[in-house]
Amino acid sequence: MQSSAYTEKELVNALKQHRNEAYRHLYMQYRGALYNIILQVIADTETANDVLQEVFVTIWKNIDKYDESKGRLFTWMLKLTRNMAINQTRVKNFKVHSKNEDINNYVSIIEQKNSDQTHVNHIGLRQQVHKLRPEYKDVLELSYFQGFKQEEIAEVLKIPLGTVKTRLRNAIVELRREFV
Amino acid sequence: MDIKNYISSGIIELYVMGLCSPEEEREFEMLRQQHPELHEAILRYESDMEKNMLQKGVFPGAEVDDKILQRLESLNTPFVPIKAGKALVKKMYWLKPVAAAVLLLLGVSLFFNYQLSKKNKLQAEMIKGTKNISLPLSDYAVITNPSITPVGMYGVGSHAICRCTMFWDKKTGKAYIMIHHLPKSSSSRDYQLWAEVDGKLVSVGIINDEIRGRFIEVPDVPAGAVAFSVTLEKTGGSITPTVDETYLKGRI
Repeated sequence: MQSSAYTEKELVNALKQHRNEAYRHLYMQYRGALYNIILQVIADTETANDVLQEVFVTIWKNIDKYDESKGRLFTWMLKLTRNMAINQTRVKNFKVHSKNEDINNYVSIIEQKNSDQTHVNHIGLRQQVHKLRPEYKDVLELSYFQGFKQEEIAEVLKIPLGTVKTRLRNAIVELRREFV
Repeated sequence: MDIKNYISSGIIELYVMGLCSPEEEREFEMLRQQHPELHEAILRYESDMEKNMLQKGVFPGAEVDDKILQRLESLNTPFVPIKAGKALVKKMYWLKPVAAAVLLLLGVSLFFNYQLSKKNKLQAEMIKGTKNISLPLSDYAVITNPSITPVGMYGVGSHAICRCTMFWDKKTGKAYIMIHHLPKSSSSRDYQLWAEVDGKLVSVGIINDEIRGRFIEVPDVPAGAVAFSVTLEKTGGSITPTVDETYLKGRI
């Protein structure tokens, strides 16, 4: 079936019926974008591959929980993927990256593991975040890449909650071009 | 509230990416209903972000693709007979019977899929607290059928906590399984179900990790089986069982 053969509504219906061809289409269409999100959080390729599989299995099992009125399918998958990737780093007791850790560490880890050119791209977003001024970088690093709640960020950075909110919004506005 | 300022404040991006606090989310959802322009802006952002992220995809490679696609298909197939897989690799001229087998499997999986969706609905109802707590009629009929013998399978050695029940219909030769407790297998191992026939263990198939707690028909149980066991094997299953890794055992 051609990729254009499904509208989003048709795809969601077929996924809810657990039809194999719908999952094949979903995987082929979205694996690259979701894998990219995982690799932003997890440097190890093997672990990232396992998480990618678990993400699609979780989508299969939880597709009934997807509520079309709350947003697009991709948005739901994106949040699920990032949460699963962050959980994985916690479960595996990976060293929690301190907010001061240099982005170059990620680059070198990844380059050692895999010199494939595509793997240089996936750190793009994190690299962009780390180019922001420190007060923006810190809140986004903790929030987006490490899954900290706003209250936790306030505690870690010893700044008021209101400041966290303002910095997050300003940081994301600066990054808008990267996300969109 | 100046909705234009709100829209350009970065809140849409944070909301879509799930980075808002619960209060911000509530406020956002309320405002979304009051201001069509905010609703429009979210839809536009979501759609742009999806396009952009699809363009920036990083691909895991064909090997990973195959593995995950196979795994997704296996979710619709409770048991994977290992013989069919071997035949495909070794003897391509068997393609016709294999194709027939695949069609059969597909049929079986569609059937299970249908059954599962019925059961999932039922489970959802149970969780919601519906009073009518019962198995679907077909399952109930199987369990109460007098020609059906339940075969308790118990944990072996250090796996004493494991439990599963087989239901064996002597008249029709059909068998059903319900796994109550079995640890999740790692990505490099699979559980395999064996039947004991004439003193030998014959493979029934690899147990799909997803069937825990469900009532599932087991296809292709060999005639004359007197006992069943479950072992942990390498991914894809083994020709002969690794007896040291026996998790469950039960005699009819």
